[in-house]
Amino acid sequence: MESTVLDPEDFRAQYEKWVQFVADNHHGHNNRVNEGPAFTQLKKPLAEARVALATSAGVHLSDQEPFHTATVAGDATFRVIPNDVDFSTVRFAHTHYDTSSAEQDLNVVLPITRLAELVERGRVGAASPIHIGMMGFNPDPSAIADTTGPAVAAALTDAGVDVAIFAPG
Amino acid sequence: MCHRSVGLVQGAVEAAGISTVSVALRPEITLGTNVPRAAYLRFPLGNPFGEPDQPAQHHRILEDLLVLLETATEPTVIELPYRWRRWGKWL
Repeated sequence: MESTVLDPEDFRAQYEKWVQFVADNHHGHNNRVNEGPAFTQLKKPLAEARVALATSAGVHLSDQEPFHTATVAGDATFRVIPNDVDFSTVRFAHTHYDTSSAEQDLNVVLPITRLAELVERGRVGAASPIHIGMMGFNPDPSAIADTTGPAVAAALTDAGVDVAIFAPG
Repeated sequence: MCHRSVGLVQGAVEAAGISTVSVALRPEITLGTNVPRAAYLRFPLGNPFGEPDQPAQHHRILEDLLVLLETATEPTVIELPYRWRRWGKWL
């Protein structure tokens, strides 16, 4: 079977229903979307590119402050996960998805081992020294859009990253 | 909401000159948030790269994301053809 390109219009009504659901069920709700969106063509072959991973699955390290999951306000902060992380120190703070797969194998949400294998095969140039852990439950995404996004972009730029691969929780 | 959070950060990173791609498990939210590149998978939340300890599956999905990075010339969201075999445990 082949991949197919999706038409945003086919999902418009479903999206608007979701926005309304959030508004009806979460105090302090808001909505934001990307303008444009920005589009950056690959600047070099992937075999020469430095690749970072980012997840909103609530990934943090045992010596980092867990994400706040108990409040309705969400948590727009992010954690830097080193590429050479000891998997036994990884924790998952998230109450809106089943974390059992991630707890069994971090690669299900943050495929650090797989990225190392892609580097070994020469498919990508290098793994970024840092990856990004976030917690996606944010009824008001203003801080995500205005603060977290630019801060993550700055951290990845400082790390010399060419490509970032994102995954939801 | 994870998809909106991911999509907004993805958009900011792309705007900073880094090429990005994301996995989408809720395509309407990813499409509505307006991201540069994404691949929709009919997998359950918590499993964007598949099942635990299935490296071949993780690599299949990563390769599809890398090809999307190499081939897309404008904002593009695709659906990947894979299906989840164990929905039962999530019902």
